[in-house]
Amino acid sequence: MVASVSLAWKNLTHDRRKLALALAGVAFAVLLMFQQRGFNHALFDSTVELVRRLDADLLVFNRARFALTSELRFPKEILERLASEPGVGSVRPLYLENKLATAHRAGLPARPIRVVGLDLTTLPFQDAAGEVNAGLAALQRPDTALLDRLSKDYYGFDLRVARRGEVQSAELSGRQVQIAGLFSLGCDFAHEGNLVMSSENFAKYFRYRAADPLSVVDLGLVKLEAGADRELVLNGLRERLPQSVELMTREEFEQREINFWARSTPIGIIFAIGAGIGFAVGVIICYQILATDIADHYRELATLMAMGYGKPFFFKLVLQQAWWLAILGYLPGLALSWLLFQLNASWTGLLMQLTWERALTILVLTLVMCSLSALLAIRKLLAADPASLF
Amino acid sequence: MSDLAAQPETLERLLRFWFPPAEQLSISAQAVNHYYGEGDARKQVLFDNRLDVGAGEIVIMTGPSGSGKTTLLTLLGTLRRVQEGSLKVLGTELNGLEQHQIIALRKRIGFIFQAHNLFESLTATQNVRMATELLGIPPVDAEPRIEAILRRLGLGQRLHYKPKSLSGGQKQRVAIARGIVHQPQLILADEPTAALDAESGREVVTIFKELAKRDGCTIIIVTHDNRILDVADRIVNMVDGKIKSNVLVQKTALLCQILQQYPLFRELSPAVLANVADKMNLQRYSPGSEIVRQGEPGTDFFVIAQGEVEVLASGKLVNRLETGSYFGEVSLLTEQPRNATVQAVGEVACFSLNKEDFQEVVATSGSFEEQLRQALFERQ
Repeated sequence: MVASVSLAWKNLTHDRRKLALALAGVAFAVLLMFQQRGFNHALFDSTVELVRRLDADLLVFNRARFALTSELRFPKEILERLASEPGVGSVRPLYLENKLATAHRAGLPARPIRVVGLDLTTLPFQDAAGEVNAGLAALQRPDTALLDRLSKDYYGFDLRVARRGEVQSAELSGRQVQIAGLFSLGCDFAHEGNLVMSSENFAKYFRYRAADPLSVVDLGLVKLEAGADRELVLNGLRERLPQSVELMTREEFEQREINFWARSTPIGIIFAIGAGIGFAVGVIICYQILATDIADHYRELATLMAMGYGKPFFFKLVLQQAWWLAILGYLPGLALSWLLFQLNASWTGLLMQLTWERALTILVLTLVMCSLSALLAIRKLLAADPASLF
Repeated sequence: MSDLAAQPETLERLLRFWFPPAEQLSISAQAVNHYYGEGDARKQVLFDNRLDVGAGEIVIMTGPSGSGKTTLLTLLGTLRRVQEGSLKVLGTELNGLEQHQIIALRKRIGFIFQAHNLFESLTATQNVRMATELLGIPPVDAEPRIEAILRRLGLGQRLHYKPKSLSGGQKQRVAIARGIVHQPQLILADEPTAALDAESGREVVTIFKELAKRDGCTIIIVTHDNRILDVADRIVNMVDGKIKSNVLVQKTALLCQILQQYPLFRELSPAVLANVADKMNLQRYSPGSEIVRQGEPGTDFFVIAQGEVEVLASGKLVNRLETGSYFGEVSLLTEQPRNATVQAVGEVACFSLNKEDFQEVVATSGSFEEQLRQALFERQ
């Protein structure tokens, strides 16, 4: 029935002021959902961003290390032994220090910062812009590090100085450090800033790790030989590894990390509830809009009923109105969310990524939200009594 | 009797109103009761209503508010469920009707409500189109029809105006267009002319008449508007939930037209003729049935409206009578039993006047008695 299409649209757009209010309501709900889902994703994206940037097929780590933040390490020999196994191309260690690493500039209190120690000869970490690779020469110098420009500003680092390519000095765990350049990685809920440095420098700052600070590894990065079957190598290595360490593909490790935050901490639930509230608010707003519209057109709709329009027509009519509301409200909601994501990212240093997939998810959620409202509102319409018109 | 042929249409119309054939009954209500409320609060609002309306009739329903006419209208329009009794509308029994049948029936009915109930978001044309689209009338047919009806109702300059830009009367006319554009077989209208000026009210009435005459559309109008009473074929007056009177308005006028053609009534003054016509009944007889029987006391005087009869005295055929002839006056004038039997040859329709009314007319009109006695004399 063509009539229902144009009628839904025309009724909705007839009063521009009412339409604007309605769309603002839906857009608000869309914004709420985007923010909650956005923070949720940001948390996960940010925590695994380091792992995603690692040049590795398989990761070796202490079996007891339930998340990156738990600083349980394993002996480097275990990793080195893997290098001669069939299918393995190369192995490299990654050193991380978080809780005991503190940084600050003169006159400011020391704050925890994550320090990543890299083997510069094979550079297993690639940031998005390749700035670490570009800064290799600087990193070779003693007591030198690169600063994550997304780090919180309370460390006191001067980004403008760094951007000009000038070196600034700061204090890292009680020792002078020269900040020779910038790169991008991002904060997460456990890390408020990042530094990268060569493993040689790393050893000098964090002597307390072990008698030889580089003999304990946080993550072992395994690269396979070209053409090697990943599953096959993975299963072979697992059999030969001691019980104390675990081996996973990088993707599995990312998922494990995300699952930890989503399930073992209340954070995932908090954001799910937040998004749920956004959804519920949206259902209520959209229901109010539709129910008011039905009440406003009660006599006209009852007249259509008297004329012989049946239930399917009215279902279509209200659902179409709901879908128009969803789509028209989604667009400004999306635009606002994108803006707010940018602001959030610069305020918090979190990775606020608005991917197509996530935008589409929210669109589907919005459509479901408005459809639910339509089904609630339609009961009001079907209860209309054309006999009251005479 | 060739001049009688001049009135066959009038007679047809009269017969149709008087004896609407069952298949042409648009509305047939039998013992319709209706109640509002439940339990102790249950209150009867319609009492044993009976009404037959033929196709193409225009019925005006009147009565004070609360008399039940609106309730009856909603029952006719399938907007309420029939609780008790039988109500047939357009050949469909409404009592116990399924929802999908109700929807199907509603599409054959045109509703005109007191309020215009137009969508503010749609133009006049679009509002009317809601009715044609529902019936799936292709735009090729629907669009010219919509435009023609709106033009006819004086809205030619307002086809694409939204209700906000129309006056109250114009809005009501759009609503009327929406109610009739799909050529319904039954129109239910509640005060359709209340918001209209005399001229547009008259135009609406003219359109109603056309729909009734040309398409055989039955129109029920609830109104207090005296200006349109003349359009009615039947006026139904309701009081306290009951049909108090159900009058075929044009019966007397039509009957006078017919009677005037008959020699017996030709000399009567219009006042007397109207008096006779007013009191006459129309009855029908199947072939072979006895209209009067020899030896029985006379009760009625008959004028043949249609058909042929045989007069039998003691079983012997003594005469044949045709349209316009009369019989049965002798025993009424002489106060003696019937002196012959009259039998219908084919289908026969007779106007009849009962004894009291006959004698009253005879007493008040010297010329009528003279005519009768003259004829009686000539016959002997």
